[in-house]
Amino acid sequence: MKELERLKKDWKTNNNFPELSKEEIYTFLHKKSSSIVKWIFIISLLEFGFWSLIGLITKNSEAQQRFDSYNVDAIMMPLMVIGYIILIYFFVMFYKNYKEISNTDSTKSLMQKILKTRKTVKHYVIFNLVFLFISSIIGVVIEFSNNSDLKLTISQFENTNDLYIFYAIIGGITLIAIVVLLAILIGFYYLVYGILLKRLKENYKELEVIEVE
Amino acid sequence: MKTTNENEFVTLVQKHQNLIHKICRLYTRSDAEHKDLFQEITIQLWKAYPKFRGDSKFSTWMYRVGLNTAITLYRKSKRRIQSQNIDDFSYKIPQAEPYDDTEDQQLKLIYQAIKKLNDIEKALIFLYLENKNYKEISETVGISEVNARVKMNRVKKKLKKQLNP
Repeated sequence: MKELERLKKDWKTNNNFPELSKEEIYTFLHKKSSSIVKWIFIISLLEFGFWSLIGLITKNSEAQQRFDSYNVDAIMMPLMVIGYIILIYFFVMFYKNYKEISNTDSTKSLMQKILKTRKTVKHYVIFNLVFLFISSIIGVVIEFSNNSDLKLTISQFENTNDLYIFYAIIGGITLIAIVVLLAILIGFYYLVYGILLKRLKENYKELEVIEVE
Repeated sequence: MKTTNENEFVTLVQKHQNLIHKICRLYTRSDAEHKDLFQEITIQLWKAYPKFRGDSKFSTWMYRVGLNTAITLYRKSKRRIQSQNIDDFSYKIPQAEPYDDTEDQQLKLIYQAIKKLNDIEKALIFLYLENKNYKEISETVGISEVNARVKMNRVKKKLKKQLNP
């Protein structure tokens, strides 16, 4: 192809690039990397920090104190401990992936490692969503069985046909609230991790196509 | 304070900097992006430098890290130019001699066609332009030699079609 040969010739001779001094290159070494994998790790840490902060802020709130007064530590403590253990497992995995990724590998092997990170991210997101869903359901059940105001309202509806309507309304509202919360979380994950990994996924597909053909 | 290692690395990068510039020329569309990618490649090279044992040439090692950074690790800047006209495809550097695009319209069109290729195809073209053989291309990209050859032929055909519609 004569055009490419011509380009090859130009490629060798056309070196009109700005000559960077040693000092300029030296400053680059101390700049921060914008690597995708590094960002995944940082975002997961920030997210952990965010949820921990929310936990701390709401700790002294009226609703939380009322919830604590139900003496449901036997349920909530194991749930919290399991939650944190799994979260720590994910951070370790993120950090391991981050460290394992070597930019000296072949492009395909590097992508495979990054996509392993993507798989970890996917599992992390699923875990968070499922955990939030289960915790919300448990929270609602505890609230229904312990909240004196709710108990009083239920007793008023008892022995009438309206009790089912009451349960249906409360159940519906709770479900909508959980779905909205989950949707916000899914939207957040989609935006953050989806965008970060979209181009990578496309490139990996391209390499896979080459291998299959 | 600069260490001996840093000095040694910076000297090597400075010597081979055109190679990084050439990767940036293919993978970016503005001066700002070019600078960002140059910086990111330098950071990644520095990160990987302890693993460089000198088994291969420094420049060969740079190809791999540079291309990997451009394809997989680099997050494109938001400053990326969204609307592109023909001039965006000719490489522009503020301090350097301006690229005389009136003299060689055809070359500009070839660069324009290459810019339209996907990241992997660009890598193949880059290695081809750098006179790498198929063994080296297959090792850098991570596909078999046969596949590298097949894919390269397809990329050439694709470029030809774009240039001679």
